[in-house]
Amino acid sequence: MAVNLLYHQNAFRLEDELRQIEIAKKDPRQFAPLYKKYHEAIFRYIYKRVDEEESAYDITSCVFVKALAGLHKYEFRGVPFSSWLFRIAKSELYQSFRDKKAQRTVSLDSVTIVQFIDDLNEDFSEEQRTNLLNSLKLLKEHELQLIEMRFFEKRSFKEIGEILGLTENNAKVKTFRALVKLKAIFIKTKA
Amino acid sequence: MIKILVDRKKLSCDEIKNRQNFHSILNKVVAKQPKKIFPWYYGAVGIASFIFVILTILL
Repeated sequence: MAVNLLYHQNAFRLEDELRQIEIAKKDPRQFAPLYKKYHEAIFRYIYKRVDEEESAYDITSCVFVKALAGLHKYEFRGVPFSSWLFRIAKSELYQSFRDKKAQRTVSLDSVTIVQFIDDLNEDFSEEQRTNLLNSLKLLKEHELQLIEMRFFEKRSFKEIGEILGLTENNAKVKTFRALVKLKAIFIKTKA
Repeated sequence: MIKILVDRKKLSCDEIKNRQNFHSILNKVVAKQPKKIFPWYYGAVGIASFIFVILTILL
């Protein structure tokens, strides 16, 4: 499974980043390198979940405004800075869904669909593809989130846990339950 | 209702990079921050208000 290089950083890079954060706390203009580093990752996370490109840019902008305004609250307690940003992105996303500024969207590519159907131990066909897309719509939001992060974005359980505020083990258990539920829906709708 | 998009238009790194605007982020944060008022201002306003109330009662 591919790894997120922004998340899996070595100790030296993490230390350097923490130093950068401390500088930015004193002078907000020094936040620019962190903004440049994470802008794309945060934008792509949001873009996959909203239907309009412009809404994704707007929400991304809100995320960084919130992050910079609340930077003094950030303290390294085992949660990397990237996960802290993703948490803000998640909360901004749900706020925009509540305000009806964006629509909840799941973005998938054909390759991921084929792989995922294979993970469900099923053979790929056009019918199965439609069936999977319909089954995804029947999941609850928290279940969909887990499936999305683990199988479509290939995130580690540790990272999923940090973004959702769960332990690594809890993220693993909940993802497994979501997968079992999706499989049950998938089989039921097929029959 | 969840919308599912398959094989959506992929955005290039340059396209996303071109939309970065740190100055706008910085300006929004600066505009949001409350203006810092020197603590003595409150003292001066407090004393003036107190004197005003006393004078109003006396006169």
